[in-house]
Amino acid sequence: MSAEPADQSAARVTPEYHPEPHGTSTADAGNVSLRTDRLARRKRFAKELASLVPEGAVLASEEQLRPYESDGLTAMKATPLLVALPDTIEQVQAIMRWASANAVPVVARGAGTGLSGGALPHEDGLLLGLAKFNRILELNRELGYARVQPGVRNLAISDAARPHGLYYAPDPSSQIACTIGGNIAENSGGVHCLKYGLTVHNVLSVTVVTIDGDLLTLGGDGHDSAGYDLLAVMTGSEGMLAVVVEVTVKLLPVPPEAKLVMAAFDSVEAAGDAVGRVIAAGIIPAGLELMDNPAIIAAEAFAKCGYPTDAAALLLCELDGTAEEVVSQIERVSAVFRESSVTRLHIAASEAERLLLWKGRKSAFPAVGRLAPDYYCIDGTIPRRQLSHVLQRMDELSKEYGLPIANVFHAGDGNLHPLIMFDAGKPGELHRTEQLGSQILQLCVEVGGTVTGEHGVGVEKINEMCVQFDADTLTQFHSLKAAFDPEGLLNPGKAVPTLQRCAEFGAMHIHHGELPFPELERF
Amino acid sequence: MISNDDSAALLERVRQAAAADTPLNIVAGNSKHMLGHRQDVAQRAEALSMLSHSGIISYEPTELVVSVRTGTTMKELNQVLDEAGQMLPFEPPVLPASTLGGVLACGLSGPRRPFAGSARDYVLGTRVINGQGQDLSFGGEVMKNVAGYDVSRLQIGAYGTLGVLLDVSMKVLPRPEAELTLVHEAVPDDTQSFAAQLRRPLPLSGALLIDDRRYLRLSGSEAAVSAAARILGGEQLSAADAGIWQAVRDHEHAFFSNAASGMQLWRVSVADHAPALPVSGTWLHDWAGAQRWLRSAAPAAEIYKAAQAVGGHATRYGPGPVGEPAFQPLEGVMRRLQTRVRDSFDAQRLFNRGRFHPELDSLAASQATTEA
Ligand SMILES: Cc1cc2nc3c(=O)[nH]c(=O)nc-3n(C[C@H](O)[C@H](O)[C@H](O)COP(=O)(O)OP(=O)(O)OC[C@H]3O[C@@H](n4cnc5c(N)ncnc54)[C@H](O)[C@@H]3O)c2cc1C
Repeated sequence: MSAEPADQSAARVTPEYHPEPHGTSTADAGNVSLRTDRLARRKRFAKELASLVPEGAVLASEEQLRPYESDGLTAMKATPLLVALPDTIEQVQAIMRWASANAVPVVARGAGTGLSGGALPHEDGLLLGLAKFNRILELNRELGYARVQPGVRNLAISDAARPHGLYYAPDPSSQIACTIGGNIAENSGGVHCLKYGLTVHNVLSVTVVTIDGDLLTLGGDGHDSAGYDLLAVMTGSEGMLAVVVEVTVKLLPVPPEAKLVMAAFDSVEAAGDAVGRVIAAGIIPAGLELMDNPAIIAAEAFAKCGYPTDAAALLLCELDGTAEEVVSQIERVSAVFRESSVTRLHIAASEAERLLLWKGRKSAFPAVGRLAPDYYCIDGTIPRRQLSHVLQRMDELSKEYGLPIANVFHAGDGNLHPLIMFDAGKPGELHRTEQLGSQILQLCVEVGGTVTGEHGVGVEKINEMCVQFDADTLTQFHSLKAAFDPEGLLNPGKAVPTLQRCAEFGAMHIHHGELPFPELERF
Repeated sequence: MISNDDSAALLERVRQAAAADTPLNIVAGNSKHMLGHRQDVAQRAEALSMLSHSGIISYEPTELVVSVRTGTTMKELNQVLDEAGQMLPFEPPVLPASTLGGVLACGLSGPRRPFAGSARDYVLGTRVINGQGQDLSFGGEVMKNVAGYDVSRLQIGAYGTLGVLLDVSMKVLPRPEAELTLVHEAVPDDTQSFAAQLRRPLPLSGALLIDDRRYLRLSGSEAAVSAAARILGGEQLSAADAGIWQAVRDHEHAFFSNAASGMQLWRVSVADHAPALPVSGTWLHDWAGAQRWLRSAAPAAEIYKAAQAVGGHATRYGPGPVGEPAFQPLEGVMRRLQTRVRDSFDAQRLFNRGRFHPELDSLAASQATTEA
């Protein structure tokens, strides 16, 4: 449960740069006094915080702070002023009251596997690590729920529930490491969310601490609660509204049977078309994942799972339910694939083979990571009917930028994860990669999709938010945030861009003939 | 099918109302007039009719998404989905004039709710007019989307107090191949008896307890439904008798019409396994015991207290004695936060003043900082 997962994640070895133009515009002399000032504050704050948490739970030396300087988006780094690692709700409340009184920004952090810089520290702020909140408080088999602390790992919940015939459905590929607190912040999904829903569909209630240190439970024991559905808005709010300190999740009965159908196609379009046909036939598979040829080759080399490396595209289609249901669905799905000119159809012969075939898919990111010095994972969602258009445009963009792209994605949901392969050691290549990524996200918006399906905006996609939302909508987001956090101390600068920032970004894009926010002054 | 985009006129109306500080009561089919408070508080209020903003904007069955103007009637929407073999999985109630906007603003879901999810679970995107008369779009037409706060889902069940819902995109699902209902004898009001069935991998889609009868509905593939029916046993209802689901959903069942004078209808939302509440009256248990309908003459305060004691909340359906709130009153920090949320969308309290939690209407509450 440390920061390790960052290793298997995106854009690994990359030069450090700071997302916020911190002190860069100030003169050198100014910088020195700024730095001295910062150190003095760190010292004072560390002392004050030490009285609120147990010994050793405040980290303030450069060495101690280093593991926290980035999340899974390692291209962006910042050193927090200090880190606090509380282990009770009362301590979190005390810390929040303290932060509020001293106007200190607070960034919550789970396992740091986020891919959009959501847990990137604030240089003048406190990083609130929730790793010590790692206990499962209650697992109620009869009533089908688990009450857990926010730092519990996603997979740990299912592992604890499985002996009782239950599991927690959302299964991000990072589930071995990521925490349920982080999952709520990102509304994380997994390969099974086509049928079982995202985090928002599987969380019954959360207890949060507000920036004022107040404790609130959102959602309730029943299926709804009085007043506004604040649980809905809390989910996916990227640590901007409150800190989650306890979570009750729904546990589902493990399906008695799960079977995996692997279907190969000689074009990505044919595979995409087959996905539409499966849905049209009234079948909702438990998972429906697509990989293109570069991803197949990478995953096969990594996991040796028996993928046909000559296929242009591969679909993994999982069907689960009662034995009877699975048999009838396999028949129907196989028929649909045959109509869609499948070149090879294979049903995993054993549970071991099923798991092996999934292993290939789930390790696709690190597998692609072995093909190039670095890779950058993009996360847009599109209406599925736009799939072949978007894939074709991405191919053109890839050639234009001279950077290869591998595609693995949640095809059933239209959630794309293009992996751009690059070499951060080559000057300018990271920058070009980011530009290509931005182009892809803007393409997703163009076809009616979104800049992020499940990884969040964080700091990474803040500019692209300007393309997706107009000024009035962004302003509404800011005022909703202010309802929770009037001073803007929780995770400042993330998730929703300021209009100024959009104006700057807009200025960059004038040559495309588009000028968002023309009413704003340019810099 | 009447398809008409009235958004420009609606926006203009809201802008004028904001400028003149004229409160607006958002109405469509008015089929849910019995829900929430009567809005006689706002004498000056004008009606903002949504009925002319109707029609299906786009529907792609293979995308599992339908985008609809909110003045569209449920009947019309259901018919279009039905023709493509699909449905709104949360099984919303359908009263003669119900519109999609009304269903979503009131956050209503039917018997399938505990098994398939609620109205808000199926909302993907919304277009909303806020209290400043701004035309805002949240979410979209795709299944997965974490760009910006999930304002679309926040709108569901807000009774229009966070804005006028113009257009909504919803996820739809294929209709199940087969469906059947089993009846068992049960102990009246014993909701605990559901627990054993709920944690088994059975294709359940409804669980009702009426008097000494427990009804379980199964939906799914032909094979799965008949296999589950063998496991559960019991008497199988004829197709005509299975109409009980629709009757309970739409409050056409006798339980809802046997109104003795002085009795009020309450909806109590609690955990399915919550104990029986110590309130005198008659009960009908839907959602495997998580949605309990109560006919009672007990005072509102007593019902709110009982619901709260088991971690739930209650809502009155229909008018009640003067001064008794129709929604579980919000208190303390929660009330303050929700008031600020209302501030952020409708600072002027333009929309549906008095209809929802009246405690969120008062602007002063947002300034109060000393409440516990
Ligand atoms: C190899 C790899 C594969 C991945 N696969 C998937 C995938 O399949 N699906 C998917 O959705 N994501 C995936 N991710 C992304 C990531 O794992 C998820 O976003 C995850 O939910 C982050 O959890 P975390 O505990 O690491 O959170 P962090 O990275 O620590 O934080 C993420 C955000 O949550 C906030 N936060 C954390 N804890 C709290 C809390 N208690 N209260 C309030 N805010 C909090 C932080 O401030 C930050 O904004 C993957 C990442 C990697 C590295």
